[in-house]
Amino acid sequence: MGIVSAIGLDTTETLASLRAGRTGIGALTYLKTTHREFPVGEVKLSTEEMRQRMHIPENQPTTRTELMGMMALEQALQQAHVTSDEMAQAAFVSGTTVGGMDMTEQFYPDFLENEQHKEYISQHDCGACTESIADHFGRFASVTTLSTACSSAANAIINGANLLRSGQREIAVVGGSECITMFHLNGFNSLMILDHEQCRPFDATRAGLNLGEGAAFLVIETEASAQRRGAQPLAVLEGYGNACDAFHQTASSPEGEGSYLAMQEALADAGLQPADIDYINAHGTGTPNNDTSESQAMMRLFGEVLPPVSSTKSFTGHTTSASGSIETVICLLAMQEQFLPLNLGWQHQMDDGITPVTNQTPQRPLRHVLCNSFGFGGNDSSLVLGALPPAPSTTISPTPSATTPEVSTSGLYLTAATQISIQEPLSEQWLESPILYEEPYVRSLDPDFKQWLSAGESRRMGKLLKRALASALTAMQQSGVELPDAIITGTGLGCIENTELLLSHLCFEGEENCKPTPFMQSTHNTISSLVSIHTKCHGYNATYAHKEASFDGALEDAWTQMQLGRIRTALVGGQDEMTPDFFKMLCKTGVFGNPGQVAGETAVSIMMSREPSAAALCRLTAVKRIYQPTAAELAAEAKAIGAVDAVMTSVAGTADTEKIARAASLFPDTPLLQFKNLFGDGFTSFGLGVYTAAHILHRQQLPEAMLIPGYEKPQALRRLLVLNDINGKDFTFAQLEIDN
Amino acid sequence: MEELIQELKEHIIEVLNLEDMTPADIEDDAPLFGEGLGLDSIDALELIVMMEKEYGIKLKSPAEGKEIFKSVHVMAQYVNEHRTK
Repeated sequence: MGIVSAIGLDTTETLASLRAGRTGIGALTYLKTTHREFPVGEVKLSTEEMRQRMHIPENQPTTRTELMGMMALEQALQQAHVTSDEMAQAAFVSGTTVGGMDMTEQFYPDFLENEQHKEYISQHDCGACTESIADHFGRFASVTTLSTACSSAANAIINGANLLRSGQREIAVVGGSECITMFHLNGFNSLMILDHEQCRPFDATRAGLNLGEGAAFLVIETEASAQRRGAQPLAVLEGYGNACDAFHQTASSPEGEGSYLAMQEALADAGLQPADIDYINAHGTGTPNNDTSESQAMMRLFGEVLPPVSSTKSFTGHTTSASGSIETVICLLAMQEQFLPLNLGWQHQMDDGITPVTNQTPQRPLRHVLCNSFGFGGNDSSLVLGALPPAPSTTISPTPSATTPEVSTSGLYLTAATQISIQEPLSEQWLESPILYEEPYVRSLDPDFKQWLSAGESRRMGKLLKRALASALTAMQQSGVELPDAIITGTGLGCIENTELLLSHLCFEGEENCKPTPFMQSTHNTISSLVSIHTKCHGYNATYAHKEASFDGALEDAWTQMQLGRIRTALVGGQDEMTPDFFKMLCKTGVFGNPGQVAGETAVSIMMSREPSAAALCRLTAVKRIYQPTAAELAAEAKAIGAVDAVMTSVAGTADTEKIARAASLFPDTPLLQFKNLFGDGFTSFGLGVYTAAHILHRQQLPEAMLIPGYEKPQALRRLLVLNDINGKDFTFAQLEIDN
Repeated sequence: MEELIQELKEHIIEVLNLEDMTPADIEDDAPLFGEGLGLDSIDALELIVMMEKEYGIKLKSPAEGKEIFKSVHVMAQYVNEHRTK
C-alpha cells in the first residue's frame, strides 16, 4: 500500500501522525486562491517539489493529481514487490474527479485564445490522469477510471476486486488520487459546506468540511497469486457494498438509506454480522447533513452493537475522490498496529448522532473493520477489511480466494438499446436512411423533453442530463424492467457545459461568482445519479470516466458483475456533449478536426439482463479490455474472438487509415464496417457502436453507409465484433450475436 | 420598494431559470420555498450567490437564507436594510 496526504508522504509518517493525534489541516499554502480563510489539508510539497521527487522531465506536462498518484503508486508497487511482468498482467483502477483541473483552471484562458500551454488540454480529463500515473511505471494489462465524486477510490477498489473474483485478473492495483483545486474549493464554498474552522466531524457544533488532498493505492491479489508469488498478505478485503441513496445530487437523505444499504451489503458480502465489526472508519465529512445521515444509518444497522467510530478526515481533511483508498490504508494501519484512530476536534455530543472514538486503545482486538465512502449523487460504498494474524511483514491485501465465476456460456441479453445523438433520436428509423454529415462538428438532434420532465424538474438541467434521462427511461420502458439492479454509465468529460460555465466564472469573473448548480453538474457521476434519483433506484451505481474508453469501462463492469451473479439486470449508458469551446480546444490537441472526422454528441442507454429473454435484441458474448498490448498479445485476443461476420471499427475520418489496417490484419478476410461516420466521434461513441450492432443483428438490416470502401459487404449478420481501437494504445472488444 | 420588489423578481427568474414565469406570476407575499414557488435548497444557495453579487450582502449559512427568502417582500426589506451596493 502507498499513501500521500496532509499527514505524511508514506505509511510511516501517516502512522506517526495518527498515533500522535497530529492533524495535517492548517492554513492554505500552495493553492492560488483568494479564499485564504479556509483551513485545508494540503500535501506539504509544492507541485514543483513533487515533480523533482518523481524525476519528471521539464517538458512533460504533469498535474498535481498525477504526481501525488505516482508517489503513492510507487510505494505500493515497491512494498508488494510487483515485477514488470506481473504488472503487465495486472489491472490498474483509479478514482478521480478533478483530474487535471489544477492546470486547466490556470490555463483555461490560454486554452481558448492561443496556443500556449495546449499540452495541458490533453491532461485535463480523468482518464489522462490515470494513464499518466500508470504509464510512469511501465505497462498494466488494463486501466480504467472511476469517477463517483467522493467515493471514487472506494469504487475503484470494488471494481478491482470484482475483476479478481471473476477470474479476469489475478492482481489489481486500485485506489485514487485528487489534489485541491480552486474549482472544487469554490464549488464546495458555493454549497456552503466548508467550515471556516478546523472540521469537527460528529460534533454538535460542526459547520462543514475542510478540503484535503492526497492519493493512496493498494495492491490486491487472489490468494492463489499471493501464494505463488510468496507474498505475505497484509489484510483481506472481505466484502464490499455499493448502493445509491437516490435522494439528492448534493445531500444525503435524513435516514441515510444509501449508506445503510451499502454497509448492509458489505457485511453480507463478507458473511459477517454487525456485532463482528470492531471499528468503523466513517465517511464523517463534518457537514451537518452527512454526519446526521451517516449516524442514523449506522445506528439503524448496528443498534446496540455499534462499534467504535471515527472520521479521520479530522486529520487529512476531505481528500474527496482519494478518500476511499486513503482511509482504507488508515484502516489497515489501525489493524496492523491495533489502535483506534481518533476523531480530532470532537467535544459536543450531537443530539441525533453517534459518539466517536476518544481513546486510541481498543477494548477488543481489531479483526474486522468497516470503511465508508459516500459521494455526491448518493454514490455510497462501504468496504469490510479483515486482519490476518500474525502481524504481517509485507503489504498486500487480497480478496478472499476467487469465487468461481458462474461463466455464462450463452452470454448476456441486450433487451433494449436507445440513443439520442446526431441521428434521429429514440428511434431506429435512421437505419433506413441515415443522415450523412460533412461538417466537422454537429450538435445532437434533441426530442421534446417535456414528456419526461416537468418545467420545474428540467429548469436546472443541462441538455446532456435531459438526453441521458430520456434515453435511459425509454430503454427501461422498452425492456420491461422497472428498476435495474445496477445503473452504470460512462462519460469522458461529463456535463462540460457546466464545467466551462464554472471555469469562466473562475477565470474571467472572479472566484466569488461561482455558483452551486454548475458545480454539482460538473461532477461526472451527476448523470447516473440523476437516473437513480429520478427512478428511486437504490441499486449499484457507478460512473466511469476514462477517455474514449468510458462507456467500455461501464460495459466491462456490468459484464463482470453479471458473470459473478452480483447483479441480474443493468442499465449501461454512455453520455458526452460537445460545446463550441471544448471542440476548439480538442482540435488543438488533434482529438477533433481531422480530415473527414465529425465530432458528435452521445446519449446511449443499453439494458442488459442475465436471464434469457425471447424479446432480446441480441446476446453480448464477449467483453475484453486490453491496454498497450504487444502485437502478439493483440493478435492472441483477436484469435480468441474467432470468426465473426464483420468487425465494426472505431475509425473516424478519412485519414484514420491506421485503424483500418490494424483491424484488417487482426481479422483477415473479414468485412470491416464503420459507424462513427454516422454518429460522429466522441468520448463515448463506442456505446453507439454497440447500440448499432445490436439493432443491425435484430433487424437484419445494414445501412450501406457503414461499408468501408475496398472491403466486402458481410455475407451474414449473426455475429458482430465492435472493436474500440483507441489510437493503438487501448482496446475494447465487444462481441454481439444472435441465434441462427 | 416597489421597484426593488420588481427587480428581485427578475433576478429570481433569471438565476433560477424559471423560464415559463414572469414577475407578475410571483406574488409579493407568497412563500418561495415549499408550497408557493416550490424552490429547494440548491435554489436557496443560488439566491445567496445572487444577494452577494447584486447587493453586496454576504450570508453566513443556508439557515440564515431560509429566514430571508420567506417571500419576495421579506427579501426586499432585508436588501433595503443591508445592501452595500
